[in-house]
Amino acid sequence: MKKLLLPVLLLLGILGQAQMKADDVKTFTLKNGMKFLVVEDFSIPNANMYLFYKVGSRNEYQGITGLSHFFEHMMFNGAKKYGPKLFDQTMEFNGGANNAYTTENVTVYTNWFPASATEVIFDLEGDRISSLSIDPKMVESERGVVLSERSTGLENSPWEQLSQPLQGAAFLEHPYHWPVIGYEDDMKNWKQADLERYFKTYYAPNNCVVVVSGGIRLEEVKRLAEKYIEPIPAQPAPPKVNTVEPLQTGERRVMVQKEVANPYLMIAYHVPEARHEDYYALNILNSILTGGKSSRMYSSLVDKKQLANSIFSGYSESFDPTLFQFYAVTAKGIHENDLEKAIYEELEKVKQEGISEQELQKIKNQKLMEFYDQVETINGKSNNIGTYEVFFGDYRKMFDAPALYNKVTVADVQRVAKKYFTKQNRTVGVLKTNTED
Amino acid sequence: MKKLKHIIAGFLLTLVIQAAAQGYKLPAYEKFKLPNGLVIYLMEQHEVPVISVSAIFPAGAIYDGDKAGLSSLTATALKHGTKNLSKAKLEEELDFLGASVSTYASKESAGLSAKFAAKDKDKVLQIIKGIILEPVFDTTEFAKEKKRLLVTLEQQKESPRSVIGGYFDKLLFGDHVYGNLQQGNTATVSALTTADLKGFYAANYRPDGSAISVAGDFSAKEMKAALSALFAGWKKGPKTNGNLAGAPISKPGESNVLLVNKDDAKETTFIIGAPGIARNNPDYVAIDVVNTLFGGRFTSMLNDELRVNSGLTYGAGSRFNALKNGGSFIISTFTAGKTTEPAIDKALEVLKKLHSNGMDEQALTSAKNYVKGQFPPRFETASQLAGLMTQMFWYNFDESFINNFEKNVDGLNLDKAKEIISKYFPKDKLQFVLVGKAVDIQKIAEKYGKVKVVEIKEEGKKGF
Repeated sequence: MKKLLLPVLLLLGILGQAQMKADDVKTFTLKNGMKFLVVEDFSIPNANMYLFYKVGSRNEYQGITGLSHFFEHMMFNGAKKYGPKLFDQTMEFNGGANNAYTTENVTVYTNWFPASATEVIFDLEGDRISSLSIDPKMVESERGVVLSERSTGLENSPWEQLSQPLQGAAFLEHPYHWPVIGYEDDMKNWKQADLERYFKTYYAPNNCVVVVSGGIRLEEVKRLAEKYIEPIPAQPAPPKVNTVEPLQTGERRVMVQKEVANPYLMIAYHVPEARHEDYYALNILNSILTGGKSSRMYSSLVDKKQLANSIFSGYSESFDPTLFQFYAVTAKGIHENDLEKAIYEELEKVKQEGISEQELQKIKNQKLMEFYDQVETINGKSNNIGTYEVFFGDYRKMFDAPALYNKVTVADVQRVAKKYFTKQNRTVGVLKTNTED
Repeated sequence: MKKLKHIIAGFLLTLVIQAAAQGYKLPAYEKFKLPNGLVIYLMEQHEVPVISVSAIFPAGAIYDGDKAGLSSLTATALKHGTKNLSKAKLEEELDFLGASVSTYASKESAGLSAKFAAKDKDKVLQIIKGIILEPVFDTTEFAKEKKRLLVTLEQQKESPRSVIGGYFDKLLFGDHVYGNLQQGNTATVSALTTADLKGFYAANYRPDGSAISVAGDFSAKEMKAALSALFAGWKKGPKTNGNLAGAPISKPGESNVLLVNKDDAKETTFIIGAPGIARNNPDYVAIDVVNTLFGGRFTSMLNDELRVNSGLTYGAGSRFNALKNGGSFIISTFTAGKTTEPAIDKALEVLKKLHSNGMDEQALTSAKNYVKGQFPPRFETASQLAGLMTQMFWYNFDESFINNFEKNVDGLNLDKAKEIISKYFPKDKLQFVLVGKAVDIQKIAEKYGKVKVVEIKEEGKKGF
């Protein structure tokens, strides 16, 4: 399920004084191409395993939208050795728990377990990666589950109802055009053959990066990986996503009717992917604009001018150029146009006058605290290391991030604001009761 | 995403009790009391250079009286400026340091949580002291806060999940203070003034009855001296605010269905519940293990039947919400409007099956392993440990509870489990809240008990 909220906090502040070093991450690659990253950490008697498959809704096309996410669900519904229900039952019997999520870019499986159960987890994963069985009966009942997941998202959050059409307008050609959950009619029509092809193409060991952190030795992880995973054959590399979203050359606007007390407003700008050099400056800009109550937009629009009841923004790591999105709910009695105008005024200020050294230093201090949050737990470690490996191409970049953030200057922040926050580059969405006015 | 976190999360307090997997012991901590009655817990944790603070005050919604929302707004307004710092200045200083300080109220208590870099401890502790001891309750800031809260309350009605819990508590607890609506409603919040906040603060924020826990990268000796100096001047309250929650909770005499109409609903979101247990119930751990099996994890009976076998919902679960003097048991899930009846019937069927079939050895072992195995990551960080210590204070338990947890879990056998089921899991007189489209589901609702229909847009008056 795609998360509305926001960038995984990759923000690895200033790593100088932190305990963890690049050398603490050990790696090996199996003969079938599956890469393992391992962090030994005996602070608690638990361990985890995060499997990052490079498949998401960007690998779909119209007619099978939502299939990546549906497949995520099907991975829990039985394989050769552990049949229907047995994956979860076995894991929980051994004290483990799991979850999984799908985004536009990746599908990630997360297992959390007592370190003593590590071999069972390898057996379970090896079984479903090598020989998943896609039982048509399970497909039907699971279809109901994801339809319920889609519906409960829409039922409980106006943001879901607004962000889907907004994304569709911002991306006309690139597959970020459709929602991760899929179109309702596509969801009702996925075919067995689609699922089987998906499994063979994308669930190959060479399309996956695995991170293991916790109370287990590297040698043991290696032994288990060789025993349970290495025999699974590699597959040809999945087809490339060739579509590049053409340059947006004019503002686009989207209106959604829904009975709400106050209008919801979204503004989205095209921005580059995680590997781009502007990633760091944009990330800092994100915090400057909406991070905390002293941020520019909260303090101006929510507190002083009282035009918005709440405002936040998001910029997540991605493989292809993505969106920098603002989300705001108007304050009582305020027209959304006035709020929209005020948001542009704040962006203009950054473009014209830049930001202060003090503001930049504030964000660098916050990044350091975010970093501590991330390395304080074994789950934070696995999540970050895996994300860097997958999105930035090398987990070692996580340890370069401090230097890269520190290198960002006030001039860089002003430059990226000017470059991306332009009228022709934006898509604006409004959700409100009366769309006729 | 495979599962909804809030459904599967299980007990609110599970965090506190799922202890001792593989010999887990609570790290050493120190506890002392200042002359004014404030209890302080300290635990050194040096893995990362941060410090976490968790404070608890006897100032929750149970003390709201007829001013619903008062405790919550008072807690929020603690950060609206102190004797020495305006609200803006306070936020600026904390943000600059990358420090977080939040204040909030829950049903029984109010609290403060903070996290900051160890090197900034002098500055941040000084600010925390100001927030707890010297709030000014600025009128202008309060007016803005209130305006935002009123919009937020309206917004919550756009999300059945956000409001259903409040309806259920009111239905179950009636006039008992556990039925108090935590955030209030439009009418009660509109009427509040800073004079109300000041009065509530004076009566309920007091060192006797409160605790502050600090965990992280510091020297306990220095921290003890620093906190003693900072909080010694906090004056005891005039008289204790009384055990309002100690009043008896009346048990429902029949099944009731509260149907909350939402015209544009496509789903029915529902809770089926009954009276639960107090936190100090001697069977607390055993109940947790049994509930894990019934509705507290992915393979639980409820989720297995409503999600895995039938595809009726994305997730179904159950939990005991245990407070000091009592609590609730709830089954919660959601389904498409047209499958309301099969979903409710299935949930009831699973409950019936729990009573008629009980559990077998294999299932019990699985639940025990799961509860033990998932425990240690819940006490991994300084924030989690600081939170645990304030819970120990509030619910009056100590490390033996944590350290003996594994033993207690292992001690549960099938006979005892059977007893737990029949004693604590309801059989009848169930209370239902359904949020959905009334015209479509009212007939169905009548199957389950005496129906009362309210509009989601309506104000919650006393007893709705």
